[in-house]
Order: sequence, then structure tokens, then C-alpha cells
Amino acid sequence: MIMYMDPESLKKEVERRALDKTDQEIVEKALVEGVETAWDRLEKQQPQCGFGQLGLCCNRCVMGPCRIDPFGGEPKRGVCGATADLIAARNLLDDLMVGAAAHSDHGREVLEVLMETAEGKGQGYQILDEEKLNLVAGEYDIDVKGKKKEAIARELALAMLEEFGTLKNKIQLVERAPEKTKEMWAKAGIVPRSVDREIVEAAHRIHMGVGADYINILLHALRTSLSDGWGGSMMATEASDILFGTPVPVEALANLGVLKKDEVNIVLHGHNPILSEMIVQASYDADLKKSAKKKGAKGINLVGMCCTGNELLMRHGIPLAGNELDQELAIATGAVETMVIDYQCIFPSITETAKCYHTKVISTSEKSKVPGATHIEFKPETALDSAKEIIRQAIENYPNRDANRVKIPAGPVKMVAGFSEETIRKALGGTYKPLIDAIVAGSIRGAVGIVGCNNPKIKQDYGHIMLGKELIKRDILVVETGCAAIASGKAGLLLPEAAEMAGEGLKAVCKALGVPPVLHMGSCVDCSRILMLAANIAKELNVGIEDLPLGGAAPEWYSQKAVSIGAYFVASGVYTVLGLPPKVFGSVNVLDLLANKLDGVVNAAFAVEPDPVKAADLLEAVIEKKRKGLGI
Amino acid sequence: MNSVLVRPERCIGCRHCEVACALEHSQSKTLLGMITEMPRSAPRIFVETGISFLTFPNRCQHCDPAPCMQVCPTKAIYREEETGAVLVNEEKCIACGGCAMACPFGIIQFRFQPVVDREVNTKCDFCIERQKAGNIPACVEACKTGALEFGDMNTLVRQNRKDFSLRFLKSKGPEVEAVKVPENILAFRKIMEEVANIGPFKGE
Repeated sequence: MIMYMDPESLKKEVERRALDKTDQEIVEKALVEGVETAWDRLEKQQPQCGFGQLGLCCNRCVMGPCRIDPFGGEPKRGVCGATADLIAARNLLDDLMVGAAAHSDHGREVLEVLMETAEGKGQGYQILDEEKLNLVAGEYDIDVKGKKKEAIARELALAMLEEFGTLKNKIQLVERAPEKTKEMWAKAGIVPRSVDREIVEAAHRIHMGVGADYINILLHALRTSLSDGWGGSMMATEASDILFGTPVPVEALANLGVLKKDEVNIVLHGHNPILSEMIVQASYDADLKKSAKKKGAKGINLVGMCCTGNELLMRHGIPLAGNELDQELAIATGAVETMVIDYQCIFPSITETAKCYHTKVISTSEKSKVPGATHIEFKPETALDSAKEIIRQAIENYPNRDANRVKIPAGPVKMVAGFSEETIRKALGGTYKPLIDAIVAGSIRGAVGIVGCNNPKIKQDYGHIMLGKELIKRDILVVETGCAAIASGKAGLLLPEAAEMAGEGLKAVCKALGVPPVLHMGSCVDCSRILMLAANIAKELNVGIEDLPLGGAAPEWYSQKAVSIGAYFVASGVYTVLGLPPKVFGSVNVLDLLANKLDGVVNAAFAVEPDPVKAADLLEAVIEKKRKGLGI
Repeated sequence: MNSVLVRPERCIGCRHCEVACALEHSQSKTLLGMITEMPRSAPRIFVETGISFLTFPNRCQHCDPAPCMQVCPTKAIYREEETGAVLVNEEKCIACGGCAMACPFGIIQFRFQPVVDREVNTKCDFCIERQKAGNIPACVEACKTGALEFGDMNTLVRQNRKDFSLRFLKSKGPEVEAVKVPENILAFRKIMEEVANIGPFKGE
């Protein structure tokens, strides 16, 4: 651990790590108190292996591990004979399928809860959005007439779960894509056949001796990503909406300042809201509130972290403590009694961080146990009991808080979230015509989805915020999910007032509708909402998504899930700019395919550009090109 | 006299050289044996990150005259005439650190050595055993990108000379890469330079 003795270098280091002032306060506290964070670990990891970064390391079998000389010398092939192209392509498919699996397995679990709820086995769950239930059931040809909602939900959950391994070679939700886009997929041979099948086949294809054609491997990568975006992720979104309600605009607060000095602070961290929804319910329990008071706390304060936070924010206005790089900082405030984790993006060292304070980490998923955490396993049939037990343990821990070590930044920032596709459509009067008119008139040039993670290689939130600001200035509407959306919440971009930062055209539209220029559309599985937004606009115009003036960006991505999202954006015809290089630069051919040749297949491609202004230039150029294509 | 020439533009930070060095100086000289040995064998070559995530494998250059050898008060550091390697007589080393102060590359480390039962200068020994057996140093053998090259320095440098001459004759100035680095690698490095500019890790 580097000790920053002189205040000037401490300040410099703090400003290098995080953009947000409240984050900076706690980054400094962590440095001074010697609490190790991801930034320290990144430094200790230097130098990071170039073979890995370039995608030229193959560690799959025991003839290897092998690596290829990036400078063109020997070795040119792995022991099996694989070239740089094949190794890079297999590595990319490997990352992508892991991401698709993470999203889809999350979806499966929500569907299982839907199923148990329908069968009356879930504790505390109800079917809250009947309208959506009936609509989606209709898509699955389920007769809804005269049936109870539970019966419909059971049939729907079964029909969706069946598609994880279906023999019918078809995912129903894929039908939601515009005809032209679907034709494009059929022509390229990348229509997904089931959710699990593409992932399993991906795992098969990266085995030694299963195909040596990097193009064929990457086409399957696109198909796998589509099974995520239009399959597993979309099912996660739809099933969550049916169970917990489709989000509508909601006001809430963001940044580490949402933690409270005199209340029991519980951070809900991870991605799947199935248990956290019950924790929200349990937090209204009068007995629990009373016992919190008995321990000297004024109340129970639930705050969200990462995408579990996004889910709870969207539906309940639960305040957001922060995004990925805030997980350690939240603990370092010294004010967190309990961090409840489900899965994905939870640092394996989080319990070590917690040991520096009184914080208890409670793991809740059988899939995601962490040494040092208390495990209270989530089961639908005992969910509410578990939720109450978790809150009880947090209350018990409140007296252990050391007030001398607490620092909570002042001034959480207001934000408006809850922009589901349905909400946006309804706000526009049931049709996208007003938005389309604004795009045709040019007051809005197009839209960009900024999504993805934090990565300590880039100053926390810098990539998201700088790109977001740059785009709205150019009259490009921004829609966001995941860590990107949380970053914008902290930075005040999710407020109608932020329209003042937008260009004249976008500003006028935002003011007329009373909406922010940056719309929070949910968690990372909710990138499927962005797909639906694009699909419905395209259908109204009778074109494909690939024809629309849209773009995607993942300025601070780190995760395999982001690889899958980026790929299904591109496969759906949305040009996507990455802020960090994917592990493919060791192969000229894979690079060329991703950056150029894909354009001829799905009318979109990838670019890599860390600099937000240059990234905005790239996105704007594509938007203008597509506008021209549409004749507007 | 053979030396190791470092071609920094070819270093990608994989640290194979470090592992190979530790392995060569372990007791068992096997990877699985090494990780259970006490004291754990440590590398004597160091891959450091500089600006923009660029890396440099830093090792003893076996200078002649060698500043470390010149300042050593107990004459513990000596030159092996056949290979030119600058070596340490562990018995004589008093771990005063004079050599480390004098070393222009900053690569001298003091580590526990069982033979003398204390911490002494444990610098690069130029893989003298390997050389005598007709092998090249372990770090060079492990380097798959050509960042470390072993041979007659004048011969190794000839490539650099040729590259410079070519650039000079083409009269295109420094924008023509003297050393052939593939376009995709240059593109990657350009991106990482930008990442470093907007990230906390500048390596300054």
C-alpha cells in the first residue's frame, strides 16, 4: 500500500481516480486509512501481460499454454496449430459467451421466481403488472381469456423457460425485431435458436479442433449475443416487470451521500433484484423499525449499488450509493452495517474490505458465495423471512459502528429514473411519432445508448460523463443503463434541468416533454429496453434498426457481459464505440472484421476510442451517415 | 563478448523473463518445485511499466567497468573473465548497499541466501551456468517477442543501425518507424496511451 504522506500528491492521486467529488472524498479516506481498493490492485498488477491484452494467449489445453509473437516472428502458431486469428477469435467468443451466460442465467432465475409465484410457493411475491403479463403471454400464443393471472404467469414462465433449451429452434422474443433486421440475421445465419444452446455451442466451438475459421467463430459470437439481448436479458427484463412492475419515472437520490449518519445502512449490491425486492418490502415492517430504534438508529436506510441498485431505483426510487468502483468506497465510509450481495461484479475481496470496518457482508446466492461472508440463502419460498433476517442482522450490527471513523459525503444529487420503453412510448402519446418528427426535423440528430461498467484504468465516471455531455451538446439523445446510468445520476445529468447542457434542438424537446437529456433505462439486462426502443421506432418507420441514426458506447467497460452487449448492439445494427480495447488487437484479421467487414453483414461495426470527444465525433459521423441513408 | 540487448519497443509486459529467471535460480529448477521452496526464488530481471502502459525489462547489463564492482568495499563483486559476467562472492558481501547506490540501472536486490544464511546482493549472474553449458540466458530464451536478444553486441546493434540508415535515406524523418512494429500493435499502443491520459495509472 502506497502511503501518500504529502497532501499535494494525495490530492493528485484522488483526482486521478474518480471524477465525482463525493467519490473523491472517500477515495481519499480509503487511501489515508490504508484500505486497499481496485485502483491499488491495478497498480500492483502492472505490467499486465501483453499476450493477454492482445488476445494472443491461449490457455485452454495442456499442450499449451501458448502464445503468438505479436511482432510477426516465431512462434506464429500454438502447439495445435492455431494462428493469431483463431486464438483471438476463440478468446473473444469465450468472453462473450460468459457474458451471455451471466445475463441469461439471471433471467432464468427471475423466471423461476415468476413460476413459483404463479404456483403460490413464493413468499411475499405478487404479479404486479398484469397488462404486461397479458401482452407477453399473447406473444407466446397463450390464451389469456378467463384465466387467472397466476395461471397465465405459470404458462408464460414455462414457455420462456422452455426456450432456454428449446427444440423448436426459435426464441419468441426475437420476433419483436423489425422484419428487415430479422432478414439481415437470417441472411448472415445468426438467428439465435435457443438461449442455452448458443452458449453451450460456444463452449464447444472454443475446444481444440472444432473449426479453425475465425470468421465462422465470430459469426457464432454474434448469434450468441443475440440469444442474450433478444433472449435471456429480455426475458429477465420482462419477467422482472411482470413480477415487480414496469418502471415509471421516479425521483430519487444518488452518490455516497445517500448513506445516513443516524440510520441502519444496508447496501444492496449485485444484479438480480429477486431477493432485494423482498428486502424493500421487509424494510416497511413496523417491528423491524422499532428494533432499529431500540438500537439507537432513527430508521432503516436501504441504498442500491450497481444493477441491483438500478432495479430497485427504477421501481421504488431506492437511492443509489454508486456504481462498480463505489462498492469498496461505500464500505470505506465506515457507515455501512450490511452489504447484501447477490451476484456479478462483486469484488471477491469485498469481505476483506469489510474487515477494515464493522460492515458485515451477507451473501444470498448459492452460486455466489464469498469467504468471510455470512450466507443467508435466497429461496423464493422463504424470501421474505430471509429478507427480515438480513435486516435484523444489520440492526444488530448498528451499535458496532465506530462514529469516529464515519465520513459520509454531504449532498446527494437528485435524479429522475424509471424510463422503461413503455413509459417513454406512453409519455410520447402511445406512439414514437413525436420523437420521430423531432429526429426528422433534425432538432434531435439521433440517439446513443451509453452502457457498461467502471474500469479503474479510466478515471471513474470520466468516460461516461464526458461522452454523455458531448453527445447531448450535439443534439444527440442519450439513453443509459448500468454503471453508465449511475454515473450520470451522480453527475446530475438525469435531471430535466440538465437539458440546459444540451444543444438547442434537444433542449427544446426535453423542455417540452419535461424529461432529462439523458434517460436512465435500467440495469444492464435492461439494455434489452434499448433494443425494444430501437425496434419500435424502426417498425413505425418500416425500416430496420440498422437503418436508424443510433449508436452505442461502452466508455469504461471491463466485463464479459459488456462484450455480449456490445456484440448484440452491433449485430442489431447499432455502431458501437468501446472506451477500452477488447483483447483482439493481436490479430489484424479479427480487428478488420470487427471494425470494418461487419459493416457489410449487419450495417454496423465496432470502434475503439477512449477519448470522449473523439468518440462523440465517431458516433456523430455514423448518425449523420444513417440520416443521409434515410433521406433526412 | 556476448551481451543482452533490450529492444524496448518489443516488450509487451508478459513477464515470462521474470518467471524464467526465478526458475533458473531456484533449487529444483522446476516450476512446481519452485513454488514450494523456501526461500522462494525471485527474479533478477524486472519488467517495469513506464508511461502509457509501455513496459521495459530492466536487468544487469554487466557493465565494464562496472560501477558496483568499483565501489564494493569488500571486493565481493568480481568479473568472470570468460563471459564477462559481473558476479558476487556471497561470503564477502556485507550487504552495505554501496553497489545498489552505484548501479545506474537500479537492479541490485538483497535477498536471503541459505549458503551464507543472510541477505546478500542477489543480482543477475548472467546465467553463467547455462552459458557454460552452451545455453543462452534464461530470460532471453523465455522472451517470445524478441525484446531480449543475446549475442555479440556489435552484431545486435547492427539492426538498429540499419533501421536508422534506412530512415535517413528515405528522408522521411522520425515519423517513419525505425523499428518495424506492426500497425495493429501501434494502434493498440495509441489507444492505451489515450487510456493512460484519462486514467489514474500514468506510471509517472
